[in-house]
Amino acid sequence: MTDPHHPEPDPLRHAEVQQAGTFGYVSGTILTIALLGVALLITEQKSMQPTPVLVTISGLSIFLLVAQAMLFFGLDVSRYNIWKSVSLILTVPLFILSIGLTVWMFHALGPVMAMPEMPGMPLQPTVLQ
Amino acid sequence: MDAHAKHEGPLPPMWHYGETEHDPISTKTLGFWLYMLSDALIFAGLFAAYGVLAQPMDAAGGPTIAQIVHPIAAFWQTLAVLSSVLAYSLATVALKTGNRGGVLLGIIAAIVLGVVFIGLEFSDFATLFSIGATPDRSGLLSAFYIIVATHGLHMMFGILWMLVLIPQIIRSGFNTAIVARLLNLRLFWQFQASVWVCVYVFVYLRGAIQ
Amino acid sequence: MFVQLQGAWSPLFGRLTLDSIPYNNPIIIFAFAFSAIAGLAVVVPVIYFKKIGYIFREWICSVDHKKIGVMYIILGLVMLFRGFVDGFMIRTQQVMADGPSSPGVLEAQHGYLPPSHFDQIYSSHGTLMIIFAATPLLTGLGNIIVPLQIGARDMAFPRMNAISLWLTVMGAMLVMASLFIGDFSDAGWVGLTPLTELPYSPSVGVDYWMWAIQISSIGTTLNAINIITTIIGMRAPGMRWDRLPIFTWTTLSTSIIGLTAFPILGVALALLGADRYLGTHFYTAGMGGNLMLYTDLFWIWGHPEVYFLVLPAFGVLSEVIPTFSEKPLFGYITMVAATFAIAGISWAVWLHHFFTMGAGPMVNTFFSVATMIVGIPTGVKVFNWILTMYRGRITYTTPMLWSVGALMLLLVGGLTGVMLANPAINYTVHNSVFVIAHFHCMVLLIAFTIFAAVIYWFPKVFGFKLDEHNGKRFFWTFCIGTSVVFTAMFALGFEGETRRLDYLYDTDWKPMLIIEEIGIGFYCLSVFYFFKMLFVSIRDREKNRCGADPWGTSRTLEWLTHSPVPFYNFAVTPQVHELDELAWRRANNCEAITPETYEPIHMPKNSMVPIIIGIFAFGFGFGMVWRIWWMAGFSLLAIIAAVIISSFTPDPGYTITAEEMRKMEERKEPPGIVVDSHVPRPMAEERIV
Repeated sequence: MTDPHHPEPDPLRHAEVQQAGTFGYVSGTILTIALLGVALLITEQKSMQPTPVLVTISGLSIFLLVAQAMLFFGLDVSRYNIWKSVSLILTVPLFILSIGLTVWMFHALGPVMAMPEMPGMPLQPTVLQ
Repeated sequence: MDAHAKHEGPLPPMWHYGETEHDPISTKTLGFWLYMLSDALIFAGLFAAYGVLAQPMDAAGGPTIAQIVHPIAAFWQTLAVLSSVLAYSLATVALKTGNRGGVLLGIIAAIVLGVVFIGLEFSDFATLFSIGATPDRSGLLSAFYIIVATHGLHMMFGILWMLVLIPQIIRSGFNTAIVARLLNLRLFWQFQASVWVCVYVFVYLRGAIQ
Repeated sequence: MFVQLQGAWSPLFGRLTLDSIPYNNPIIIFAFAFSAIAGLAVVVPVIYFKKIGYIFREWICSVDHKKIGVMYIILGLVMLFRGFVDGFMIRTQQVMADGPSSPGVLEAQHGYLPPSHFDQIYSSHGTLMIIFAATPLLTGLGNIIVPLQIGARDMAFPRMNAISLWLTVMGAMLVMASLFIGDFSDAGWVGLTPLTELPYSPSVGVDYWMWAIQISSIGTTLNAINIITTIIGMRAPGMRWDRLPIFTWTTLSTSIIGLTAFPILGVALALLGADRYLGTHFYTAGMGGNLMLYTDLFWIWGHPEVYFLVLPAFGVLSEVIPTFSEKPLFGYITMVAATFAIAGISWAVWLHHFFTMGAGPMVNTFFSVATMIVGIPTGVKVFNWILTMYRGRITYTTPMLWSVGALMLLLVGGLTGVMLANPAINYTVHNSVFVIAHFHCMVLLIAFTIFAAVIYWFPKVFGFKLDEHNGKRFFWTFCIGTSVVFTAMFALGFEGETRRLDYLYDTDWKPMLIIEEIGIGFYCLSVFYFFKMLFVSIRDREKNRCGADPWGTSRTLEWLTHSPVPFYNFAVTPQVHELDELAWRRANNCEAITPETYEPIHMPKNSMVPIIIGIFAFGFGFGMVWRIWWMAGFSLLAIIAAVIISSFTPDPGYTITAEEMRKMEERKEPPGIVVDSHVPRPMAEERIV
């Protein structure tokens, strides 16, 4: 909405435009590609047990998400970004609750006893067990 | 019975004249950021569903997850999406100086790389379809396809958004509305990179482990 | 990847045939006649008084948060009425169909409703009441009041506000359409799988239910974004966080729930849609599906949803009770903390809706403890309200009566809720009408507070008070009805009556069922008094005209505006000095100080885009329900096109000069929400884009 009585400041001077930085974007990209490559190597190597591999690549992904939050999104506690940071931090527990509690409750349902076996469908322990 | 004590001294002004600090760009980016959080929760729901359905029994005798994910091939998709995000982000760096050419170049590069990503994903799906690994084969496959396809759908909407922005930039330059849209699109596009990290690690890599 | 459909399908009409219209069902015919007459009663006067253009320009295309809020409330009240009719039909069927020798009329073996029709009625009762009555009513209240309470001129995104409204309306219209074209879901408002899967629910009913909720929940999420951004960014100078009115705080926490929980509902329904449309196996019985996944995802949304409904109700109580006790709210900080504690913990309790599904003692205990913990901040709130009333000067106006009634219901509902939180008890009463009675206590307390809020804020929005005499009769009949019906229902729950039954086998229940029917009779009386209250109030509106502060003891900023509120809210942005700003000004004798000079203000223009998006959203929903692919596809493309095209022409808004402001402010009757004929001519002739 343009208001002839209050001409707007130059939008390009806005802090969120000016916060863009080549260094942050390039380093974030390189870091992501490198660490995902590491995760790929660990997975393809098949010399480690499945559970430690899973823990490692999960840790790598969490690290990457935090790094991207800082390097890509530029989240900090400055006046222009604080509400984005606060809202993200308050949302993280909701991910943990919804996915974590779901996985826990389904795991707790116990082994599938009543399902008749279909051909080609042997009952196997899952990674979670 | 009011708890308020009487004000000491002369009364302060009751009304505020002049500018109030309602900065339209920050308002729009905050609103869009909140939308992104709700979008992230859509993915949380999809990952919860995937966590439930990615058990061996949900393959219902069909292809297992290890048989349909190819992390090495998917790494090309990783490169495509990350470089597309980088291209667009660099476009917003050019925006700092109002460099119209630089911005348009970055957006076009982002579009091309985004289309490469979609193309790779389509060809992956086509291969899977040809071996009978369709979404209606089993619960496991349904869960796999919905996560990957939802991310792909977001990518397609982002590409559409970029295509719409190009004529707008050419026609009107960098006014407040268009700058706000460029910033929002940056949030959206970078978010696709974050979602892809989760998809790649928890669908492709985790699937290959089993 | 195509699914097996029962019945015909054609490319032009999808599954729609002439047989889809239930022209041989007398109950539906009666409902159609009633709706048609009611609709004509509204439309004919509009045409007769030549107000079509006015309605279109000033209301349908409006982006004014107050008008949008009023339209939300009108939608909610109409759907509340239809939901009540559904409830009346349920009660009547059950009292008639008790015991093997009970008579059957029309097509029913017992009672007057055959099972499939009865199932559709309780499904629509739940869906309408929760999604299309309570939610729009509360959203409308928040829409009107929050910008006024924080001293803003409008919401952060006025056009998106209108889009949210029309999406909700179109969802409700889909449910209304299901009454006359096709049928509605008969799988409950929850829609458990695999019953809602295509093989078990082959008709369009579940599709209607699914798309109605999906479309309106997009509106709710957009509204949440709007409110949060407004509260964070658009507060008046001096409106610090520690001076924010409690209703605004509760609306903020409600919107956080709306933002975060509704996407999960979207996922739950989208996966069901994929099963029904694409033949996937998310929830199917077999082929690797998991039916409990739906229950899990649905209730991850479903539990925060009930707090989404109850927190604004708590906010209303926190505004009405201090006003009519002539005391500030007791414990502002603990109230705010309790609000956010409730919103946060509500995200960790959802399994208590399905304790009996076999997750085992460890999981059940975790969720049981979390559920009981939520009772603690709720108790803090109740004590704060009581301590607000303690030693206050209480006036039992109608809003205060509704609020005290709500507190009583909160006590009973809350205690029975804590009982249900205990898995040992839950296993015994799960799926019985004890559960129904519990949650009806909670949703009725929400209804009580909605009535309190509507009556409390009505004078502010429309400029005249509602009739107190008939209002009190409305309250007492409604209150008696509630007590009678649900006391009997708790008893029946303990006696083992299962929910959702169209035929009851135990004739020992007959006395209680008759008591419940008497209760419904009181509800019918209350409906009569509600309409009488409206009629008398509108008839006598000149006698009951009021100024800015009709109740005399209100405390918050919205009461500083004129009544009715002008379309620009405040002529000059107020400077806020204290919590309960109006009470502070009254204490310092400056509540009547008006601005001496005016400055130009900038307002957004009305727009056709939201209603266009709404109409195509209906087209999309209807097309998807009947699998008319060309209609659905075209509507979806039209929505996308509308958004893209409107982005090429940003709204320049319009300016009101200082001189026009002075003229409007100094006239005796300010240009309020329903009085646009005084608006200066240039604005009334603005073209709408």
